[in-house]
Amino acid sequence: MSVLELDRLCRETLRDHAFRKAMQTDPEGAIARYRLTEEEKRALLAGDVVALHRMGVNDFLMGYLARFGICGLNIQNFSERIRSAGTAGGGH
Amino acid sequence: MDCRVTPLTRPRGNDDIKSSRSRELHLAEIVAAFGLPHTPYFPSKVEEEGPSSPTGIMFGKARDALAAARPDVIVIFDTDHYNTFFFDNFPILAIGIDEGFRGPNDEPRGGMPIYDVPSMPRLAEAIRDEGVRAGYDIATLRDFGCDHSVMVPLHFVNPGMQWPVIPFFISGHVPPLPPAQRCFDLGRQIRRTLEAYPDKLRVAIIGTGSFSLEVFGPRIRPGFTDGVPDPDWVHEVCRYIAAGDTAGLIAAATEDRMHAAGNVGGELLNWIAMLAFTDGRKPDFLDKQMENGHAYAGWRL
Repeated sequence: MSVLELDRLCRETLRDHAFRKAMQTDPEGAIARYRLTEEEKRALLAGDVVALHRMGVNDFLMGYLARFGICGLNIQNFSERIRSAGTAGGGH
Repeated sequence: MDCRVTPLTRPRGNDDIKSSRSRELHLAEIVAAFGLPHTPYFPSKVEEEGPSSPTGIMFGKARDALAAARPDVIVIFDTDHYNTFFFDNFPILAIGIDEGFRGPNDEPRGGMPIYDVPSMPRLAEAIRDEGVRAGYDIATLRDFGCDHSVMVPLHFVNPGMQWPVIPFFISGHVPPLPPAQRCFDLGRQIRRTLEAYPDKLRVAIIGTGSFSLEVFGPRIRPGFTDGVPDPDWVHEVCRYIAAGDTAGLIAAATEDRMHAAGNVGGELLNWIAMLAFTDGRKPDFLDKQMENGHAYAGWRL
């Protein structure tokens, strides 16, 4: 599990505008520099925030993916999906 | 555990004694304390809706009260939102010690100016040095920026960043949280340093954060980026604050209770550190905002 890498990746979409752009246009290529497992890559590219939440990725940081329209996410579908994760917790 | 019965407690309405003591001894004195929100889109909201909008009015009240207290410096208790710190280096307590700092460093939506805020490194050093010697492990931050959680309240109450600001960071989002009593005691320790500081400074204190708020987590409202999972807790926290019952608030604010109130519920700890300066006085104003699970409060001390 590379939760710290995923947290970092989410934060870089805020801080690094070139990376943000790359994540918006070619996420598969953009995530190559991160050390992620296949499962993590799949969940990320599918915008599966419930799976990422269960892996322990920080919810607040995942919000940047919705805010910047990354991996098919927007505020509406992020909200629907994360709410289905149900219980409290997630993040570190 | 009654936090109000302490050597630091002063009788109410005894301002003359307090100020004559600090005047004669040329010591710093605490002149005001505030609890404020830091919702990232409030600057753009008030820009759109004007100063007579509800948010504009509530921040305006705090701004006017702060100006009336004529501060020389502000100490703000805050929880960073993974911008100044990250999980690779994540202190529970930290203080910014430098000539100044810049922010916000996290592009809050709607945009707000990037400010250069002056600070008071010698005073910040004294807070750290005496704090560490008293048993508080306070990390040092130099050459740093702050995110919206420091900058939004300052944007409203410190126009033009005219007063220097010392940011003090308390980890309030992810477990393990420092205990509420520890944060209150930390506030008392900082107060001891300030009130013995050999400089005629008028010091204002701000604690910023929400009581019940979930941001981008499972308990947000449908179609929104946030929600208030525990409105009852907001009422309860405000009852304690309105009554000046800090000891009651500390007893109620367990780690489980704060996490249950939302994934930023531990920001209450910043208020609790601030309350160490209020001697259990009732606030001059307390405006509860259920929509955001937070409040605005002020004390002239």
